[in-house]
Amino acid sequence: MLKVRIIPCLDIIKNKVVKGINFKNIRTLGDPVTLAKKYSDTGADEICMLDITASHEKRKTFLKTVEAIAKVIDIPLTVGGGISDIKDITTLLNAGADKVSINTTAVLKPKLIKLASIKHGSQCIVVAIDGKRFGKQMLIMIKGGREKTNKNVVSWAKIVQNLGAGELLVTSMDTDGIQTGYDQEMLRAINKEVSIPVIASGGVGELRHFKEGYQTKSTGLLAASVFHTSKFSIQQVKKYLEKEGIPVRIS
Amino acid sequence: MKKKVIGLIDSGSGNIGSIKKAILKTVKYKPFTLKIINSKKDFKDVNKIILPGQGAFATLIDNLHKKNLYKELLRLISELSIPYLGICVGMQILATYGHENKKIKGLDIIGGDIVKFKKKNLIIPHMGWNNIHIKKPNKVFDNALDQKDVYFVHSFYFKSVEKKYITATTKYHHNFPSIVNKDNIYGVQFHPEKSHLVGMNIIKNFIFKA
Repeated sequence: MLKVRIIPCLDIIKNKVVKGINFKNIRTLGDPVTLAKKYSDTGADEICMLDITASHEKRKTFLKTVEAIAKVIDIPLTVGGGISDIKDITTLLNAGADKVSINTTAVLKPKLIKLASIKHGSQCIVVAIDGKRFGKQMLIMIKGGREKTNKNVVSWAKIVQNLGAGELLVTSMDTDGIQTGYDQEMLRAINKEVSIPVIASGGVGELRHFKEGYQTKSTGLLAASVFHTSKFSIQQVKKYLEKEGIPVRIS
Repeated sequence: MKKKVIGLIDSGSGNIGSIKKAILKTVKYKPFTLKIINSKKDFKDVNKIILPGQGAFATLIDNLHKKNLYKELLRLISELSIPYLGICVGMQILATYGHENKKIKGLDIIGGDIVKFKKKNLIIPHMGWNNIHIKKPNKVFDNALDQKDVYFVHSFYFKSVEKKYITATTKYHHNFPSIVNKDNIYGVQFHPEKSHLVGMNIIKNFIFKA
């Protein structure tokens, strides 16, 4: 039976793991390589890392962090942030990423999804969707949440699936960082319409939130600060889910 | 003592970084060397062959032809019985035909077809950790691996394989062969190089026992 994936996420600025609340108020939480190795050794199913400043001059430092992490883990690594063309994707895959996550550029240049999935295979192309509510509408945000688009999250999810995305990483900006649980409404709406795997992201603060994420049909459950601050260990989350009858990998 | 040579084929489809890293971890301090195979002449002195593959069946076959590796690979593993481990699409090309977009001939070492998972509401690709059920243990894949979780990512599976070649199955909607073996030839649908300690053990077993 396929197991639900528990995915710690490292948001990175200048070779440091950081966390912001609603994409603001950034604070430092640790060393990326140390944390990634700890998570891989203690049962994480994948690791996700994001270059959240994605500034051109810091790119070399970030690539070195990707290489260093890839060297110490034996589980899949997804890398996102600052991807603007096919060359960036190839560079990240060569640095040790197994999958790349594309966000802003997917919206600005949707053709890149198609190109990249043909060149490298859909299995390594993740499209990151940052969604936010405006009245009753759930719209796509880009540029780290700073810019609103007129795209509806569900229709956009269907479009990128058709363009060749192999997976979606769905973050709700309404729940991110405030630890009140995943945005179940947004996740269910997307999962109802797509047939590629969805990683739920944004909002975990309690163990039951992982269960709620699984119930939205998402097959990957991402969390950041609850792991970095040691509020929960990976094993604790898995033992809880197992007790709740949800299939997990116990290593 | 003459070092044994592990040939890792760089087909050009998908990156070989993680499998290379896994092999090097395994063979550290041991009498093996790793050689990346990019052309026919690189096969010289190779004692084991590993072919990782990602993406499309046709692309991998095409790339092997383009690099002029196809015939030599077939000769080495089917005539000279050099141990072979095919990973993901590297396993799938052992089949008679692949059916991705159009029908394409494979190496036809293990009879069967590579077809897409088809079921309404089934999430494709089959992505993540799933358990293997050992049906017919061999020297590389023993009973200790039974029910262990390994990492999969694929949309196509090996259909109509004769029972005697199925080492293990995995269930995703239905059971499919996740490990196949015929004599010196082994294929795994999952990614041992991404499967933490279980995967490292598989690579080690192939290198030391196949």
